[in-house]
Amino acid sequence: MRPLTELETKTFFEKLAKYIGRNITHLIDRGDETYCFRLHRDRVYYVSESVMRKATSVGRDQLISLGICFGKFTKTGKFRMHVTCLEYIAQYAKHKVWIKPNGEMPFLYGNHVVKAHIGRVTEDTPEHQGVIVYSMTDVPLGFGVTARSTSDTRKMEPTAIVVFHQADIGEYLRQEDTLF
Amino acid sequence: MDVSGVLEAHKQKFKSVSVEGKVIPLEFDLGLLTAYDQNPIDEAELRKNKDEYLQSLSRDNAQLLFNEIFQLPTISDDNGVMAMLPVPTTLLPREKPLPKPKPETRWEKFAKAKGIVNRKKERMVFDDNTGEYKPRWGYKGINDDGSKDWVIEVPSGTNPMEDQYEARRDAKKERIDKNDKRRQRNLEEGAVASKMDQKTVNKGERPNMDNARSMKRKEIENQILISKNSTASAGKFDDAIKGDLKPKGIKRKFEPNVTADLSKEKAGNMSILDRVVGKNGEDLVNVRKAIKATKSRK
Repeated sequence: MRPLTELETKTFFEKLAKYIGRNITHLIDRGDETYCFRLHRDRVYYVSESVMRKATSVGRDQLISLGICFGKFTKTGKFRMHVTCLEYIAQYAKHKVWIKPNGEMPFLYGNHVVKAHIGRVTEDTPEHQGVIVYSMTDVPLGFGVTARSTSDTRKMEPTAIVVFHQADIGEYLRQEDTLF
Repeated sequence: MDVSGVLEAHKQKFKSVSVEGKVIPLEFDLGLLTAYDQNPIDEAELRKNKDEYLQSLSRDNAQLLFNEIFQLPTISDDNGVMAMLPVPTTLLPREKPLPKPKPETRWEKFAKAKGIVNRKKERMVFDDNTGEYKPRWGYKGINDDGSKDWVIEVPSGTNPMEDQYEARRDAKKERIDKNDKRRQRNLEEGAVASKMDQKTVNKGERPNMDNARSMKRKEIENQILISKNSTASAGKFDDAIKGDLKPKGIKRKFEPNVTADLSKEKAGNMSILDRVVGKNGEDLVNVRKAIKATKSRK
């Protein structure tokens, strides 16, 4: 467990900013307690200071996980977000997509979102923008990246992909052992 | 007969040798035939008639300089009377930078430790054989090591058929080679030491030669490591040589995990965020959205 280097922080924030933009500030600077980002076995954990201090007494090999896992660094140095951070980025998301009940199941099985399943979209979402996927009852289901801007989707066919799947809550079952 | 009138008229033709009206006396550096006038210039006069004022000013100052020169001790010669100029007092800056100090050679270091001081010897020495003065070394010198002897006694215990002239020549060549090798070594060590000890060299002192040898070794090891990495595969597919140097990896350094106060880390994160998202963050107004909204209203 160690703090992120400057380069790591930069790649991490760049990815995170795609979803919540400048709202990262609210993660760094919280009112209730000091939270920090810690790297452990290539994974970035968002953890409160008190928990982090306690975790220092656990050996590196013995420490499985701490706090909330936000994602991991790939071996090529890119950052990949995990669904475990959904709770935090859903709070501060800038762009959202709501999908109809009949589209929930395909999405939760790891498929992309097609136009026919879209219930509602945040107005004026640009292309390749990180979006949070909600059910019509406002339950966050996962997140993805838009394939087209909102205006372009109007002209598309109902079977065309609108949001590329990135992570969904189905992963809690599918990737139980590698997720945290 | 009264000639005072004529004398007076003659005197009127020349200006006075004594100059008055100088508040601050002039500074002279007679060695350089220079005078420095620190008195302020009369600006009103300068503006009124510039040329006249400047001419009279320089005339007065030149007069004062000549007065000084005429007070110097003189010598008479066939060429006339000459004044002896003193040594210049003004320090002029050097044109070129001071030469870099030369690094110590091994002999110089040894001689310093032993307290050996170089005695000055005459260049010419008396040669008993010819009865002439000859240079101590060099062209037509006396240090030919007997290679010009017309006969050489064969030393006992050597092969009598061996050419003793050749043996002497060989011995001399060997000595020269040895000396050349040492000179080369001194140069290399000196170069490395002055590179490593730039602080002292910049101060204008001789570089520290105390561990010149280990410095040279380190330098060579560095060069070997560089050359090993300079292949097409950056040294990855080269055959390992036994006893070869292993490059020491660069140690990664991380911030401490736990500090007394996490505010520093927080501030660091904030500054990175500023760089990622931009100092002011996203625009407060979504311009495209605003344009669309106004259009639809119309």
